[in-house]
Amino acid sequence: MTAIGIWMAAIGTLAIYSFLYRDNPIYRAAEQILVGLSVGYLLVITIKTTLVPKVATPILAGDIWGIAAAIWVLLMWTRILPRFGWLARLPLAVIVGAGAGLSIPAMLKARVLSQMGAMLRGQPGFDAWVGALGVISTLAYFYFTRPQKGAFKALARLGTWYLMIFFGATFGYTIMSRLSLLIGRTDFLLGTWLGLLP
Amino acid sequence: MSLATFDRRIIFGVIFLAVAAPLIVPIGLVSEVSPGTQQFYDLIEQLPEGSVIMLSFDCEASSWPEIGPVADALVRHAMRRRLKIIGTSFLSEGTALGYDLLTRLTRQTGMPYGADWIYLGFRPQYIAAMLGMGESIQTEFPEDYTGRPLDSLPLSRQVRTYADMALVVSIADDTMPQYWIEYAGGRYGVKIATGLSAVMVTTFTPYLDSRQLAAVIGGLKGAAEYERRLGIRGSGSRGMDAQSTAHLAIILLVIVGNVAYFAGRKKP
Repeated sequence: MTAIGIWMAAIGTLAIYSFLYRDNPIYRAAEQILVGLSVGYLLVITIKTTLVPKVATPILAGDIWGIAAAIWVLLMWTRILPRFGWLARLPLAVIVGAGAGLSIPAMLKARVLSQMGAMLRGQPGFDAWVGALGVISTLAYFYFTRPQKGAFKALARLGTWYLMIFFGATFGYTIMSRLSLLIGRTDFLLGTWLGLLP
Repeated sequence: MSLATFDRRIIFGVIFLAVAAPLIVPIGLVSEVSPGTQQFYDLIEQLPEGSVIMLSFDCEASSWPEIGPVADALVRHAMRRRLKIIGTSFLSEGTALGYDLLTRLTRQTGMPYGADWIYLGFRPQYIAAMLGMGESIQTEFPEDYTGRPLDSLPLSRQVRTYADMALVVSIADDTMPQYWIEYAGGRYGVKIATGLSAVMVTTFTPYLDSRQLAAVIGGLKGAAEYERRLGIRGSGSRGMDAQSTAHLAIILLVIVGNVAYFAGRKKP
């Protein structure tokens, strides 16, 4: 990183952290710059790495499939013309249909069937029982078709305990994660910028 | 001063000091290598020399202070094992960060671009791109990140689809590994592993049991453990001193807050 880059990054970091003292125009300016830069960067990189090689180049080369795909995409924009707005449904239908066709089996396999299979195939023992009880009781908590009374209520309540343990573990990791970001920026400010670190 | 009038900026100051002090004066705390990190290390270690792995930098710049050390440690290990690396990214900001990291580290070891590593760059529609690479990487990425035709690079002539890769590693701060599991792992059978921000670890640990993920390494702690396993002291290890003292400060603040709360409640 060049000296100018280091100074800009340091000033940007301090501007964002100034919010911890109180809301101020410097913080808001830094926030707007960050959002603007992120969107601008996404736009440029999408044009450079996708629109040019995948759309512009095939069209200029006279590739019939490239031209057809570009026309198909442009149909999405007919929504702004009330008379031709219905044409936008054609590419939208393909996107929804293809998306559902691809994602439903993939998600069902990865998130449900494989996970259930792993639970059923697991080595019998304490861990397996804890896991099985967790799955059943958590599902019971989210089963709203019948009132939660008696033994079913106790099972659902056990499910809430499992959920709380999960949320607790996730929250612990979240604190660790956020502290890591602070450590990273402090390391940059004290080390790379000020040169105070050994 | 009561809890109601307590200035929270004092807490921010305490946390900053707890983070800054051990960075200036390192304590040298040792991170014991956890079984999860060892599993990841063994996975890379067992790959034959010359195997091709894909590193996907699926993260934003805002999480790089945490994810960066993880990526750094993994790339160093891959280079030490003389693995060939194909880099890509499905989040725009991760694209430049990944390229910068690979450029910097490969320059240190003299790994030539094109033969030992290539960088494919960014694609916005990640599901389509993941599926596309299962059919043909060259069709999905006709050019690399720098604009060179992919077919002109020796490594890309050797690797056409996932079938030619030993492993895909998603360096992620969000749910992108989920899509790698579903579309690259589930459909094409390539082995998936992930380096995550700590907050995502609990989401993906269950996929280890079902073997849909080959290994998971999480956050700065994971990076510190991996660095220890590699025998180096990088930014992960340096950060863990600060992480530990900051946790200690938080625990003390929680105790003080609770004591003040209950003491204040007793008053009429």
